[in-house]
Amino acid sequence: MSLRALVTGATGFLGQRLVRSLLEKGAHVRCLVRQSSNVATLTDLQSQNPTGQLEIVTGDLGDSKSLVASLEGIDVVYHLAAALSGSTASMFLGSVIPMRTLAEAAAQANVQRFVLVSSLGVYGAAEMRSGTVLDESAPVDPHPEQRDPYSFSKIRQEQVAREIAAERGMSLVVVRPGVIYGPGRPLLTSRVGLSIGPLLIRMGGRQPLPYTYVENCADAIMRAGMVPDIDGETVNVVDDGLPTGKTVVRFLKSHGQRIRSLWVPAPCIRPLAALAGWYANWSEGQIPAVLTPYKAMSMWNRLRYSNDKAKRLLGWQPRVSIEEGFRRTIRERRE
Amino acid sequence: MSVTTSPIRVALVGCGQIADAHLSQIRRIRFADPVAVCDVHPDLAYQAAVRFEVPAQFTSIDEMVETTRPDVVHLTTPAHTHAALTKKLLGLGCHVYVEKPFTLDAQESLDVLATAASVDKTVCVGHDQLFDPTWLTAKKWIQRGLIGDVRHLESVLGYPIDGKFGSLVASDSNHWVRKLPGGLFQNTISHPLYRITDLLNDSQPDITAHWRTRDDFDFPTELSVQMQGTKQTGSLTFSTDLPHQRITRVYGTDGTLDLDFDAQTLRLSRRTKLPGAFAKLEAPFQQFRNSCWNLRHNMWRFLKADIHYFAGMKTLFEEYYAHVQGRGPIPIEPDEIHRVALLMDRIFEHCRSRDDASENPMEDKSPQTSEAVSCL
Repeated sequence: MSLRALVTGATGFLGQRLVRSLLEKGAHVRCLVRQSSNVATLTDLQSQNPTGQLEIVTGDLGDSKSLVASLEGIDVVYHLAAALSGSTASMFLGSVIPMRTLAEAAAQANVQRFVLVSSLGVYGAAEMRSGTVLDESAPVDPHPEQRDPYSFSKIRQEQVAREIAAERGMSLVVVRPGVIYGPGRPLLTSRVGLSIGPLLIRMGGRQPLPYTYVENCADAIMRAGMVPDIDGETVNVVDDGLPTGKTVVRFLKSHGQRIRSLWVPAPCIRPLAALAGWYANWSEGQIPAVLTPYKAMSMWNRLRYSNDKAKRLLGWQPRVSIEEGFRRTIRERRE
Repeated sequence: MSVTTSPIRVALVGCGQIADAHLSQIRRIRFADPVAVCDVHPDLAYQAAVRFEVPAQFTSIDEMVETTRPDVVHLTTPAHTHAALTKKLLGLGCHVYVEKPFTLDAQESLDVLATAASVDKTVCVGHDQLFDPTWLTAKKWIQRGLIGDVRHLESVLGYPIDGKFGSLVASDSNHWVRKLPGGLFQNTISHPLYRITDLLNDSQPDITAHWRTRDDFDFPTELSVQMQGTKQTGSLTFSTDLPHQRITRVYGTDGTLDLDFDAQTLRLSRRTKLPGAFAKLEAPFQQFRNSCWNLRHNMWRFLKADIHYFAGMKTLFEEYYAHVQGRGPIPIEPDEIHRVALLMDRIFEHCRSRDDASENPMEDKSPQTSEAVSCL
């Protein structure tokens, strides 16, 4: 195999797994990292996978001049780097603006494909009917500004990438993973409920959680850069046999984790969120609008999730089951 | 200046993190009409416009001013751009509210203030904590003589470097903050400094200052400043090694006032009147009464939905807009703006002078202090 790939975000939770998958396939992987990044794990990956070739270059995604050299000879760009927390402005500064610079440079360099790793959170889940199957045909959230900074930045990132791809004739594939979990990341996420100090406010509990194990997800992303004739496609990545909030909590408790939680039944979520939203508005933000009906339904609407397109288009199968993924995550934490 | 009662048209340039605070407070002001936002990055302008329902977004200042004709423009860009952009906006016929620090140095501040005067426009600087409810109450208490004459002021800013902004600065050696003449301090010490100067009678007290670099960092992270006036003294401490805190303590001839801006509390300690051992009961009783007052006061404010992190900012905006509309005095005098800029120059100059040339962690950019003073 002679694929030459540039990976951004290579030192991150998902990036490391993607680099390993690519190296296992014998690819030449160029990792664009910051000067301050710790690259020890990446160099370990090279020694574990001698079939592929690893190259580490330091640079700044905001600097288009340095990107020219980083993109030289590259076939596929896997763009994973993104800000994961912070204010909306800092998320845009850390995700959207670097992506714009990179995509423009990639188009200039005539790369064969640009794979943008986005998020399943971009869909307008709040306005979907309970029980609906969420797949790639679902509309993107029409009011991302009413959501969290992460989803807003991801939606804008996709818009910008599509504009650049259309204007410059660049092949773009967008991958929208669900909640990525695995060793190093907790199983309890905001999809299960809100953490307030040591207390977990469990929201509903029977809605399926769109989880994907990190290695499964990395495998799908790798394929999105390799499978021919899928230009312009969007692919959702979630695993089979999705868990619910209830099963996650039950699993953790059965493995000795102490969880202090308060349960909000599903029918109470919307009224509670309406009350919180009203108060935030009335008090002009004395307590910020962390919970509104729109945010609540975006997060905890009871939907079903399809991964049919990923299987069909990418020839992908989640190799690690949910049960095994959970076990590996817990085991790593204990160790 | 003629009196205007129609809504004031407000625009904002620079849609980074602090712009959120500005836009959220502008929205709370009934007579303010946010008309436009502008940023060199279209994506930043977009997110601010959409989230705060601002009708127009631009990447060019000229186009923004020509299209929307704002009365006041808020400037929330990086500090090194303040002087040039403020002069540009003044030249385009706008009053300008500049986020702290006002300029890079005192020479620039003089230049900007002179430009404002020449075009008959005003500038204001973001010394918003002077309009925080806790500070305003403290000043009322001081004016009522509760602590006697002010003799010493202490101001502390705890600024964990792993915070939202600090971590960005620490991880990026090319961050614009690292390139300021006073580095991290230049972007942050305005607040603790003007909380001292507001009650300090001497315009330019004697200064001794020292900065220090913590292990594992390659830029100064700790700052200590001592001020000696004719009858008053002051001390400023900035530390990345302390948890976040904004505290000012005012020592008077009859008592002490302790202000915690984050807790929104005011602790008053007065000289005890009872003799001997009885005084040891009187002091804690005073503290108990004081705590009860703080609890009652904050509960009442909570019930009125009157507890907001940037409350001082809103009040300062309102007073500045009222001034622009000819309905009140300017909230921060130009002399005060320049005074703080000059003090900052002198602080950094003193720190640099204490560094050995070989150990100097900052690029030398010594302001021309004497020239600046003579221009006052």
